[in-house]
Amino acid sequence: MRPVGAAPDARGPDARGPDAGGRENAGGPDAGGLDAGGPGAGTAPDGGGAPDASGGPDPGGGPNRAGADVRSADLTSVVVALTRALRERGVPITPAESADAARALDVVDLRDRDEVRLALRAVLALRVENYVVFDDVFAALFAAAEDPGAPRVPWPRGAHASAHAEAEGATPPRAAATPRPLSLAGWARPEAADDAEPLGVPAMSPHEALRRKDFSDFGAAELDEVTRVARRISRRLATRPSRRWKVVARGARVHTRRTLRQALRTGGDPLVLAFRERKPRRTKLVLLCDVSGSMELYSRFLLQFLYAMQNAFARVETFVFGTRLSRVTGELRGGPYAEALERLGRSVRDWSGGTRIGACIAEFEAGWPRLVDRRTAVVVLSDGWDTGEPDVLAGALARIRRRAGKLIWLNPLLGSPGYRPLTRGMQAALPHLDVFAPAHDLASLERLAHIVGS
Amino acid sequence: MRDEIRRIRELMEREAYVADPAIATSVHLALQLGKPLLVEGPAGVGKTEIAKVLSRALDTELIRLQCYEGLDASTALYEWNYPKQLLRIKLEESAPGTVAEKEAAIFSEPFLLRRPLLEAITRERAPVLLIDEIDRADEEFEAFLLEVLSDFQVTIPEIGTIRATHRPHVVLTSNRTRELSDALRRRCLYLWIDYPSFEKELRIVRTKVEGLDERLAAQITGFLQSLRRMDLSRAPGVAETLDWARALAALHAAHLDEALVRETLGCLIKDEGDLRRVEEELAAGRLEALAG
Repeated sequence: MRPVGAAPDARGPDARGPDAGGRENAGGPDAGGLDAGGPGAGTAPDGGGAPDASGGPDPGGGPNRAGADVRSADLTSVVVALTRALRERGVPITPAESADAARALDVVDLRDRDEVRLALRAVLALRVENYVVFDDVFAALFAAAEDPGAPRVPWPRGAHASAHAEAEGATPPRAAATPRPLSLAGWARPEAADDAEPLGVPAMSPHEALRRKDFSDFGAAELDEVTRVARRISRRLATRPSRRWKVVARGARVHTRRTLRQALRTGGDPLVLAFRERKPRRTKLVLLCDVSGSMELYSRFLLQFLYAMQNAFARVETFVFGTRLSRVTGELRGGPYAEALERLGRSVRDWSGGTRIGACIAEFEAGWPRLVDRRTAVVVLSDGWDTGEPDVLAGALARIRRRAGKLIWLNPLLGSPGYRPLTRGMQAALPHLDVFAPAHDLASLERLAHIVGS
Repeated sequence: MRDEIRRIRELMEREAYVADPAIATSVHLALQLGKPLLVEGPAGVGKTEIAKVLSRALDTELIRLQCYEGLDASTALYEWNYPKQLLRIKLEESAPGTVAEKEAAIFSEPFLLRRPLLEAITRERAPVLLIDEIDRADEEFEAFLLEVLSDFQVTIPEIGTIRATHRPHVVLTSNRTRELSDALRRRCLYLWIDYPSFEKELRIVRTKVEGLDERLAAQITGFLQSLRRMDLSRAPGVAETLDWARALAALHAAHLDEALVRETLGCLIKDEGDLRRVEEELAAGRLEALAG
């Protein structure tokens, strides 16, 4: 706390608005909760010593422009500018969060830019994927606020090594954190916010964007996201209840018959309850993935998916095919992705060659009959460009269909608007499929769980 | 920096927790705004530790709800002590009194088994409520939790509504094995903790492990940092760093060498494939911390 009247310092305490000042002075009822902590926890009399920036000469003219009287109304417009910019970048903000952001500004040191950033980020960026966008928007607003003359220059990222942020681990681009007076006046002007949106970036959070991105421009970095989707699918498959019951130690339903039988031992009083619940349905998956030349764009990414599924779900059998069929369950299982690819490369010979879908699927049907039963969903991932006889394909699919619980064809091309499944192969396959669905992005893959489950 | 935030940092450091500004600010906000704090990050970076340290710093109780698949409301909130109720009925079979009276007697506080959530809202002093690994609970439980976290009140049909006397300080952690709902996120303040930087990790090692040579501490930290760059399937967290540092301290090691690392690698690497890869790197002399 600055000694009152130590300096004719109009901007310091006032800039924080009457509310904030009051709370800090009083030590605050809220702060009391923390004070319980330990010795020396009371409002430190010399506390004001550290945020020196405030006491020192003010480098910029900014803060004083508003006549040193920035009130909570201005804080509100700061938040409004920030939340609007965030929304435009695809980070959804609800009014309740905006209100919390304003409250957050009340309880931090407004002269400490990094603290303001961290506080607003805790309220407004609710997943780590939004951190980058948030830091960007925050920095841009700051740049605009501090230099209204050149609003389009983004904050020089990493220009100063920040004393605070150094300890903070790896949050990518961050605003420089040198404690500088926060010029709320400029920040709050709506047009400052308008000026500060020059960053021609997709209006979607990275998370969203990833989900919609076509596999064809997928990089290896997305493996994490694919893995997450695979885990979600496997969870859903693993926890689907069947019609059968089993006895469990604790559950939501009482197993009446068993409870009564046990009650015989305690003189008819059901002292010990028995429970029962549905057995999980043991869905199995067989994935047949086309890795021929025409699928080249997608096969790299579908492989990531196959790898992720193989390692997330216990009951998956995976095959890849071009001109020949290869079982790759063992190759994909375990170890890091790079190693799995290496093993695949050694054992699969016909990458990106021609396609004989019909022959390969017939080979699967004849060679591994025991993999397919009523509880199995067979999933073909292919664009349907078959160079063989359509009858072969149709026959193989029809036979699989009779034995499998479900026959699903995922076609990456189905994601593009103009596509019609007119190839001879696709035409031959369609009558035998339970489901024909796209597989060009993560969202479409995620639907697999529902398709298989229904 | 706000005084309170500095104080939180000091208090946490006193409890041997190295808190960076992001952590201190989030904790401060959580206390001030009375919102739960959702902490996400890879395993072993000290997410759970935040709640523990916070409870010690506030000198208040820590109530922990460990989440797992199948966790339901009765395990988390309350349950009637059913065997005890039956016994009471038996004992008072011939006692006078109306059915309604007897019923009221067995559906009263002494027959209530308080589970962590109910416990947390009925304490005299606001405790720290740690809801650990919320991502492992089912989605229905998340929805239920949302209800409790928004009102801090619980309705028990036989007793009535119990309102929190003091709102607990809530910390939720998640390892991201499952995406949490937006609704839950919106109830919370959010904090992502990544693996620490070299400087931070070195500070943690020095704070937490006694009797460790200064140079060795730096070597340990450097080695861990290079391990994390290897993209292992199970990268070692800070907990592993500390285990290892303690083991080395117990062995009175003065510096790292290849043989020592090989012998003690089990503290750090808990996956067979990873182990193989690290050993290869070691043999090839590619792990930089050992070079010096």
